[in-house]
Amino acid sequence: MTRYLTLRLGQAVLVLWAAFTVSFLLLRLLPGDTILIKFLNPELGLTPEQIADIQAYYGTDQPALAQYLHTALGFLRGDFGYSLDTGTPVVERLAEGLPATAQLASAGFALAVLLAVTIAFAASHSRMGWLRGALLAMPSLFVSIPTFWLGILLVQVFSFQLGLVPVIGGTTFEQLVLPVLTLAVPISAPFAQILARSLDQVQTQPFVTVAAAKGASRRWILWRHVARNALLPTLTIAGLTFGELIAGSVVTETVFGRNGIGRLTEQAVTSQDTPVMLAIVVLSATAFVLVNLLVDLLYPVLDPRLKSKVGAAA
Amino acid sequence: MNRAKRTGNRLAAAPALRTGAAALALAGLLTGCSGGAAGTGADEPAGEPVYGGTLTYLEYQAPTCLYLPAAGFYPNGGLLNQLTDKLTWQNPDTLEIEPWIAESWEINDEVTEYTFHIRDGVTFSDGTPLDAAAVAANFDVYGLGNEELGLTPAEFVNNYDHSEVVDENTVRFHFDRPSPGFLQGTSVIGAGLVAPSTLALPYEEQCQLKNVVGSGPFTVANHIVDKQIDLVAREDYDWAPPSSEHQGRAYLDRIEIIVTPEDSVRVGALTSGQADYVRYVQAFDEPTVEAAGYELYAEPTRGVNNGLYLRPANHILADVDVRRALQAGTDAREVVETIFTDSYPVATSVLSHLAQGYVDLSAELAYDPERANALLDQAGWTTRGADGIRVKDGERLSLSVFVAGAQPLSKQTLELVAQQWSEIGVELQIKPADAGSMAVDILDPEKTPLVHSMVGRADPDVIKSQFHTENRDALLSNDATLDQLLEEQSALAEPEARLAKVGEIQRYLVDQGYAIPLFEEPQVYGAAPYVEGVDFEAVGRPSFYSVWLSNQD
Repeated sequence: MTRYLTLRLGQAVLVLWAAFTVSFLLLRLLPGDTILIKFLNPELGLTPEQIADIQAYYGTDQPALAQYLHTALGFLRGDFGYSLDTGTPVVERLAEGLPATAQLASAGFALAVLLAVTIAFAASHSRMGWLRGALLAMPSLFVSIPTFWLGILLVQVFSFQLGLVPVIGGTTFEQLVLPVLTLAVPISAPFAQILARSLDQVQTQPFVTVAAAKGASRRWILWRHVARNALLPTLTIAGLTFGELIAGSVVTETVFGRNGIGRLTEQAVTSQDTPVMLAIVVLSATAFVLVNLLVDLLYPVLDPRLKSKVGAAA
Repeated sequence: MNRAKRTGNRLAAAPALRTGAAALALAGLLTGCSGGAAGTGADEPAGEPVYGGTLTYLEYQAPTCLYLPAAGFYPNGGLLNQLTDKLTWQNPDTLEIEPWIAESWEINDEVTEYTFHIRDGVTFSDGTPLDAAAVAANFDVYGLGNEELGLTPAEFVNNYDHSEVVDENTVRFHFDRPSPGFLQGTSVIGAGLVAPSTLALPYEEQCQLKNVVGSGPFTVANHIVDKQIDLVAREDYDWAPPSSEHQGRAYLDRIEIIVTPEDSVRVGALTSGQADYVRYVQAFDEPTVEAAGYELYAEPTRGVNNGLYLRPANHILADVDVRRALQAGTDAREVVETIFTDSYPVATSVLSHLAQGYVDLSAELAYDPERANALLDQAGWTTRGADGIRVKDGERLSLSVFVAGAQPLSKQTLELVAQQWSEIGVELQIKPADAGSMAVDILDPEKTPLVHSMVGRADPDVIKSQFHTENRDALLSNDATLDQLLEEQSALAEPEARLAKVGEIQRYLVDQGYAIPLFEEPQVYGAAPYVEGVDFEAVGRPSFYSVWLSNQD
């Protein structure tokens, strides 16, 4: 088990290093260096000599390898450089954006899971064919709703028409309600789909028939046997959904004017703020790696058979 | 002065009345109506201003770097206009330069020396005095930059040599060549005066709001990056421009500037009463604002018009006939009528009709597809391919352009122009604004034969900013004649002669087919009916100093 853990951690570190290096290379390969992109802006009306001075000031006239090492060492020390757009240290911008996004993403994720479980279990438990069909159709509907459209619709109806929640001002909770709903709906779709299908599949397994033959109630079978077995594939999807959570927060934060990592990403891409982009890529990769590491470590807890396999491999 | 104010229900129902109102407003402008900051429009019973209250102002974008010479970005300018004062004040109605922090000034006959007498008793918000030495320190940076601190010089200062502090309240600026645009340059937002402690910081530090120490009517109380900036009135503020009716502290207690990027949310928040004042009402949202009984302010930016600028260094556009053909084949009126509203006047020259030195070239710019076709035939693009696009020596008559992220509805505008051009056998490929290659390609006339841009500044030098090879160089010009004309203009000491030269440059740009002006770009704001005293500087950034709320008890 310890060896398994070390191996997975080593893999995680390797993935992070690769993410950093590849994105550094890609951002460097973008035509024009970062300083040029910022200072060639015709609004500044700078002469080529002035731009050369600025390049020297920022050290972008140095060879690529030197810049790579400098940036890498900076990242190891937790120094991500300066945002070209606002002049603030990237660390500060991340520190400002992270709590808002963490709040949004975790609440959105929780609500998505709640929605998915409700839909999947209601569908699986339902004896009425039409209701079951309607419930099972919901995920496809959810996944096809564009996030920005849903966001704007919710704002128009609940804030501007009904006046239930303000979008400007308001408490932290009020500011979260609509964005969380916007984010949760599309994310709940894959969960609900996978969970519903797994529930159905597990229900056709022989051991369910055996349990039923032994006189177990329908509900007891569902909760004790079916649900537990249907959880594994759903968990895998949960890990993968993380990416969607990030993508969804870009749109959601823009619609609702939240100052999170999502909007920071959007701004950094639009204005080609490369130090911010690099830091966000590494940060997202870290989060992704951590979430998937957690999911992998959870498998053996949920399914004892995996535990023994891991043990055998060790 | 509520110049462009329109109250929707009333005017939307009566187009004739609207035209009449516009004509009146224009007449008011031409006769130079009094520019008192707290003045009220004739159509509005306002009552006595009251102190107090919080204004919720929704911004379209978050401010970026706040280093003053780089403050052209609208959110930056709109913020710095409240935090800093300028040496002089440009009356937005008459475009005259009036005293502000400088009580008076002298300019020598050669326009190479400016002496300013600084008002007594002005302080920055950190308590340090705004004296001659502080003013000199500001313009040394704006005129020359500072290599060591990474500070870039300002585009509005030309030919700057050095400053001289004559005494505590007198400062003299020396120029190595005549610099007639400098006086107006001291009134622009980028020339906002900041404390010497701010100027001593490196570029990145000066970019940050917390380090901007000005002498303006408001100071920063609270800042959440990318989300919200709260301003509070400075109690001891007592140095508004002398011509302002309103003196002393600002009427408002507080302004909450909230970044709201989504168009429909900004407009919806305004009309549902969650916000009082919003910037950037899109053309398609104007009817919503008017229908709700709210007010629209379409503020002119008085500079080089929104248009397409053609680059003669491109091998296809090197032929003046091709450039003239594209000019004749573009219907600016259709662009405005299809995509925009009455807030966007059709361009009649390279410069806005409110710009100094403007000449009316509407005849030269008339839409004439027959002439366009004839010119293209004459240029040798005679055969057409299967798709209707002209071909010469195996090459298609195809040009490309980047969507200009900063221009309103740039993509839609370009798509309509592409449609117009396809009728004369020219293909226009539209590339997205955020393409990775844009930063470099936009500087290559072969890859980017034309650009969609504009620039606002209420001084004839604006034309040099846009077209000179050492400034924005929108044309990536290889035309020495143009450069020379622009330099002559920026150094002509005699105002009449200078404006005549500006007229000559506009004719030259149009005659050479370098410019396809589309419309005079405004800044469009929406405000609740109880927001009074709404005011703007000469290129449409808001000033909140004289704003007050009439819905307070």
